Amino acid sequence: MNILVVLRMIPDSAGELQLAEDGRSIDREWLDFQLNDFDDHALEEAILLKEAGGAKVTAVAVGEGANRVLQMAAARGADEVVALQSEEDAMISSREIAASIAAMARAKSADLVLCGVQSSEDVFGQLAPYVGALLDWPHVSGTNRIVANGAVLRVTQERGAGVAVTYELATPAVLGVQTASKAPRYVSGSKLREASKTPIGRATPESSGFERSAEIITLRLPVQGGSGENLGGNAETVADRLVSILAAKGLARN
Amino acid sequence: MKLIACTEGHSSKIEAFSLEMIAAARSIAQAGDEVVAFFAGRDAEGASASFGAADRLIVARATKSDVIPAETYALLLRDVITAESPGLVLVPYSANGLDVAADIAARTGWPLVSYVNEIKRHGESLTIVAQMYGGKILAECEMQLPAILMINPGAFAEAAPGAITAVSVQTIDADPALTSGKVKMVAIDVPDYADVDLTTAERIVCVGRGIGDEASIDLARNLATMLGAEIAGSRPVVDNGWLPKLRQVGKSGQKVKPKLYLALGVSGAPEHLEGMSQADLIIAVNTDPKAPIFNVAHYGATCDLFDLVANLSDRLRAGSGR
Ligand SMILES: Cc1cc2nc3c(=O)[nH]c(=O)nc-3n(C[C@H](O)[C@H](O)[C@H](O)COP(=O)(O)OP(=O)(O)OC[C@H]3O[C@@H](n4cnc5c(N)ncnc54)[C@H](O)[C@@H]3O)c2cc1C
Repeated sequence: MNILVVLRMIPDSAGELQLAEDGRSIDREWLDFQLNDFDDHALEEAILLKEAGGAKVTAVAVGEGANRVLQMAAARGADEVVALQSEEDAMISSREIAASIAAMARAKSADLVLCGVQSSEDVFGQLAPYVGALLDWPHVSGTNRIVANGAVLRVTQERGAGVAVTYELATPAVLGVQTASKAPRYVSGSKLREASKTPIGRATPESSGFERSAEIITLRLPVQGGSGENLGGNAETVADRLVSILAAKGLARN
Repeated sequence: MKLIACTEGHSSKIEAFSLEMIAAARSIAQAGDEVVAFFAGRDAEGASASFGAADRLIVARATKSDVIPAETYALLLRDVITAESPGLVLVPYSANGLDVAADIAARTGWPLVSYVNEIKRHGESLTIVAQMYGGKILAECEMQLPAILMINPGAFAEAAPGAITAVSVQTIDADPALTSGKVKMVAIDVPDYADVDLTTAERIVCVGRGIGDEASIDLARNLATMLGAEIAGSRPVVDNGWLPKLRQVGKSGQKVKPKLYLALGVSGAPEHLEGMSQADLIIAVNTDPKAPIFNVAHYGATCDLFDLVANLSDRLRAGSGR
């Protein structure tokens, strides 16, 4: 089985996001970029499938820091790594890159395309359904378990309230991974150093073929706080206040 | 213009956000417009009994499967779009919607905006407010009709439930599409709530990724015990295996409404807020003052969660004489 797994580098949203001067984008100058969490799980699922039944895993990364993350992917077990060029200082729109991923899936004779179920920059639509529709392959998003038995996949999808649905489908297919069957593994420094010699292929993007979805007029921060009260940052005062708030509401135990 | 509101259900249950999709369509429908609800599933009767706020209902009735795979749902919806030529299709941000919205967008070539909170219409164009970056940024976008929107659950108040008149219901048979579909449902697992049911808990202490490691969960668990609360976690905490799945709060976890919700190191992504923003009292502790959890919290603190847990535990222990 040939697996293509997509790795998108996105701004670390645990860090501070500031608006750029044009008011339509975020200021990327000082941002930390990291691998989209869900793509990390997609990579893990690809490697788990390889370990379980044999597969060739090709990882394609896009965005700032792609090379670094591809070395990590190689250290974790990817057989081939490719950096897809992208516009500098622009958000990674899954609608835009879908055609490139679909083309690469064909070129690599992929049986399975894996990517994260979403990214924080996919406001114009999610990657798995775009790629699935372009290839006319079935797609399932929100998976938390993928088992391959030859060309037949058993895929479990998370629904609300802890309900899980299992589907069966044949490859070729595109899956949007929510959670890998096992938590993503850590790689040792020595493995990383070894993998740093892995040659990184380059791919140039295809035209998206889609009309632009919408124009971003402005970005803004949500109105902060609402009616909430800020108790500050001193743990002792906060604890004192919470004890009295809970007591006043009858919520301190007994 | 026709507006199609996509609705959902599984087994014999209609998803609550279905009525929100109808309300979202209603909110921008103008005189002469028609709000058409589309439903695919087993519970055709439930749909007819609930979706009276729509002008018309198209039901794809399934007898062969408790869940309609998104592939089949999208196929049926495409036929409806071809037949109806709507100006706008509203899809919920749900497990199903995540596969349906961009599939339809790719095959129609129509624009799509996801994670939508607000819609304003000016003739042939829309102004949309959508969430990005885990709810830390709001994007105001302009788009042309016809278009597809993926709407956040909770963004629109539910339309009033009520029966739709029989003449306004058109039924199509979903079974042939289910039989020929490439994706087949083989099992549905509904959790056993005997062990823990967060939906009935009065007090919840929820830990997020800020807790750092599995060993530290015990600190929060001890605090929860002192407060008479259940311990819960965000998705990453459960994914890491630090807490069982039944203790996950949010979109793919439980929707809770306790009297007390203490969130420790939870950023407050939209998918988390969906499960807990209705709690009576929300207290959030997060070192990042811009964390979106503070937008729904009644009390927020920006101290280190470990310092807070230690201090609060001390006081509660002293208070109870232990
Ligand atoms: C289809 C779908 C369904 C989903 N369903 C769910 C769901 O059911 N439930 C859910 O929770 N998520 C769900 N998610 C995931 C969601 O998008 C977020 O990724 C997740 O909620 C983030 O969890 P978190 O807040 O614990 O982690 P993070 O976003 O990483 O936040 C950790 C926070 O901890 C703070 N912090 C770090 N250290 C400390 C410290 N020492 N003291 C205080 N604060 C600290 C940081 O400032 C940060 O804000 C879903 C996503 C998708 C796509």
